[in-house]
Amino acid sequence: MMRRSARSLATFTWAYIAWSLVPVAIAVLFSFNSGRSRSVWQGFSLRWWTGDPNASLLRDESMRTVAVNSVVLALATLVVTLPLGTAMAVGLQRWRGRGSGAASTLASAPLVTPELVLGAALLLVFTNLYAAVPLGRPAQILGHVTLNLSLVVVTVRARLLTIGSSYEEAARDLGASRATAIRLVLVPMLRPAIVAAGVVVFATSIDDFIVSSFLSSGAGSETVPVRIYGAVRGASTPALNALATLLVVISFLGLVAGGVILWVLRRRSGERVTLRDFVNEVTQADA
Amino acid sequence: MIGTPESPVTLPTVGEPIADGLAPESGTLSVYNYADYVNPETIAAFEEKFGVKVEFSIYDTEEIALAKMRSGGVKPDLIIGLTDSVLARFVAAELLQPLNKSYLTNFGNVIEGLRDPYYDLGAQYTVPYVIYTTGIGYRTDRGIDTSAFVGDEGWSQMWNPAYAGRAGVLDSYRDTISMALYRNGVHDPNTDDADALAQAGSDLEALAEAVRPQVDILAYQEIAAGNRDISLCWSGDTLAGVGYLPEGTSPDVLGFWYPQNSFTANDFFCIPRESQKPVLAHALIDFLLDADNSLANQAFVGYQPALEALTADSLVAAGAIPESLVSALVTPASFAAGKRLVSLTPEVDALWLDAWSRFTTG
Amino acid sequence: MSTSAPTSTGRAPAGAPRASSTTSRSWSVFALPGTAWLAVFFAVPLYAVAAIAFGRIDPVFRNALPAWNPLQWNFSTFVDVLGDILAGELRGVAVRTVFYVVVAVVCSLAIGYPVAYFLARSAGRTKTLILVLIVLPFWVSYLMRMLAWVNLLQRDGLVARFTSLFGVEHNWLDGSATAVTLGLVYGYVPFLILPLYATLERLDWRLVEAARDLGASPRQAFWRVTVPLSRPGVAAGLMLVALPMLGDYYTNDIISRSPRTEMLGNQIDFYLNAGTQPQRGAVLVLVLSFVLACLAWWYVRDNARSEVVR
Repeated sequence: MMRRSARSLATFTWAYIAWSLVPVAIAVLFSFNSGRSRSVWQGFSLRWWTGDPNASLLRDESMRTVAVNSVVLALATLVVTLPLGTAMAVGLQRWRGRGSGAASTLASAPLVTPELVLGAALLLVFTNLYAAVPLGRPAQILGHVTLNLSLVVVTVRARLLTIGSSYEEAARDLGASRATAIRLVLVPMLRPAIVAAGVVVFATSIDDFIVSSFLSSGAGSETVPVRIYGAVRGASTPALNALATLLVVISFLGLVAGGVILWVLRRRSGERVTLRDFVNEVTQADA
Repeated sequence: MIGTPESPVTLPTVGEPIADGLAPESGTLSVYNYADYVNPETIAAFEEKFGVKVEFSIYDTEEIALAKMRSGGVKPDLIIGLTDSVLARFVAAELLQPLNKSYLTNFGNVIEGLRDPYYDLGAQYTVPYVIYTTGIGYRTDRGIDTSAFVGDEGWSQMWNPAYAGRAGVLDSYRDTISMALYRNGVHDPNTDDADALAQAGSDLEALAEAVRPQVDILAYQEIAAGNRDISLCWSGDTLAGVGYLPEGTSPDVLGFWYPQNSFTANDFFCIPRESQKPVLAHALIDFLLDADNSLANQAFVGYQPALEALTADSLVAAGAIPESLVSALVTPASFAAGKRLVSLTPEVDALWLDAWSRFTTG
Repeated sequence: MSTSAPTSTGRAPAGAPRASSTTSRSWSVFALPGTAWLAVFFAVPLYAVAAIAFGRIDPVFRNALPAWNPLQWNFSTFVDVLGDILAGELRGVAVRTVFYVVVAVVCSLAIGYPVAYFLARSAGRTKTLILVLIVLPFWVSYLMRMLAWVNLLQRDGLVARFTSLFGVEHNWLDGSATAVTLGLVYGYVPFLILPLYATLERLDWRLVEAARDLGASPRQAFWRVTVPLSRPGVAAGLMLVALPMLGDYYTNDIISRSPRTEMLGNQIDFYLNAGTQPQRGAVLVLVLSFVLACLAWWYVRDNARSEVVR
């Protein structure tokens, strides 16, 4: 590669990164604006985070409710999706019989379905067929799990491919039952993929807008993105920026938590872990 | 079940009102309302007085509210802001409960003309909230030609390509189509004339082409923030806009125009049949019918309360309205001269919606 | 020892044979819960969309009455909407949506490919740093990124104030197609870069070197070796981005609330959520799904074929 074009590529990349991230940084900055405006800087203050008695993030009940809703929804989704998805991935990978092709297609179909279609379909079905399920958090959890299941399946399957079944077979030859082989051999090897998938599912759920909004039932089940969307089209103070920043922070905490879990697990098993590995793991899950 | 000023209607009584003398419930009152349509401070005072919490779910248009209520997507204890355009359908769907006036001690404060409204004789289900008219809100400092605001032609300003990219219309099909009808000299905001409606639809398409308006109900903050210079909006939007001006800007920059025969309306409170806290809901209605609370509420919401004591003159005298925006107030004369938007039968409504979807699909 | 491990396969196969040799059939038990879930919450809802699209409408409230039995399906609204798309009021929306998506995807590719290429070719700590920075937007909600841009583009926003320094008085949020398309690009480019990077990372660069050794200039090597080799990955990435974009509606809602830039997603949202015509909404959802299914099927076939050729 000629150095000149390498340098212009580098410049282009850095310019892209700036274009991509600077607006967000500015939005975060403005959450600390002392004035009401979201675009005219009037000084630094924590007014919108904790100060203002009515509208700040801390004092405004509805903001707190919304943040809590987002986190609860994401955690509930995680708890259901990870076991369900991992089991499905293991099953699909190993199952060779009739129907496995159809199940496989079904497993990856949500990935190519736009969220609008999924959200609309779920809304229609919850209001017409599954009337027993109330709109709001229950419906949202079911929707989020459906949305994210394929993600987990794909991530874990990719890992299964590289692992192969030789380790398990070795364990079986040594006398372990299938369940034990899975528990003691397969699962630990799948941990990085599961954790990575979990991190991505958490972030996807936290940031999700369409399904959450279609299946929401008003104030009690509003999530942060739904609130942001509603507020962009309504009166908004920098408290909105603060809320959005909080969302980013929570997503990051999920990422960090995943990294910590992975690090702890690998340390226990003696493997060396680098940041690069973790980043790769997560980007594989993303892509 | 559709009432008009000429032939008022007594709605069928569906269900029983709650018993007398019950104590207000505790807990959280769930209110379904437009955004920024009640003063948070007034609500805080209510919360303190009754030791309860109030949470809000927001709707953007009445059609959405109706759809959500029917599908059970939202289950509020009190609804604020509906008008009689949807009342008939709410009652037909058995979504509302008859009110118990014994809890509404301040009901006598309501404007005399609205105590027994044509859309709900005997005020069985509804209590008026605010009154308003529809017109054009604009910035006085951005080169809008105010001399053109005269009669039917005044509406044509919304089609003026000079304002392209800086205009807005209401996300309310009744109001926006009526604007197009009025411009063509059809002064009937409830018309069933298919040709007039089809023409209105085409005219709105031309408007979209010429001016690229934003279609929402946010004029109150967008004009104040300077993102929009001219917008079809409700009179209260301009008054509310005062609160959204950047610090240091005089309210003189906001203006409002409407012809005498413009379409006026009032909206109301109503309580859903499935309300979990009906006594508390009645209490909040009563709280907001108190003249002092209502005045405080008006300071934030902008719209004129439908109370006898808070006439246009008294509001100006109390300093609640800047001089320059007196034009946005609804006087008894203008309320009488204006045309009311009433419910449409399903067939006629379909015509209106057709014209609207031609506009919204661009 | 493994008590701390997430019990991912906690669902121990209750009725599975504990034989030492496991049939591949018995593995299906693992996949059953997930498959059942997707059947109930994915396949059935899609069927429900069809049932509503081909059902009836209550005349007073205009809400949908689904018809679950295919023999009772009524296609009049479906034909109506198709007619509207091909020649009537929905034609503008459909054409516009396709146009925006095509332009946005092309722009995204033009931006994303160089960045992914650079990332794939760089090494060391810079690489990790850049990778982290590129993945960062994923952890920022799409809405927040849009919100950030809208703030900048508003009349009193930084961008407008900056350009007014040069005498350019332009309302960037004036409901123009450019604003919406750029919004789409901004929103979706990160989703394109990762798959592109993944592909380029796995590319066998020795083939490129071989081309160079055989006398090709860097440019020729790029266009004749790198690009064709990366084609499957690029196609996958484009699919990953174009499909959601076709159903996008909130980008338009946030950046421009004008009917002039309305996309198909907005129309669906309007029909379904504004409660006016859920049946038409369901029909549009079906049409959209069908178009996307065609695209996906064409992609899969194309991919399979190129695999065979290799």
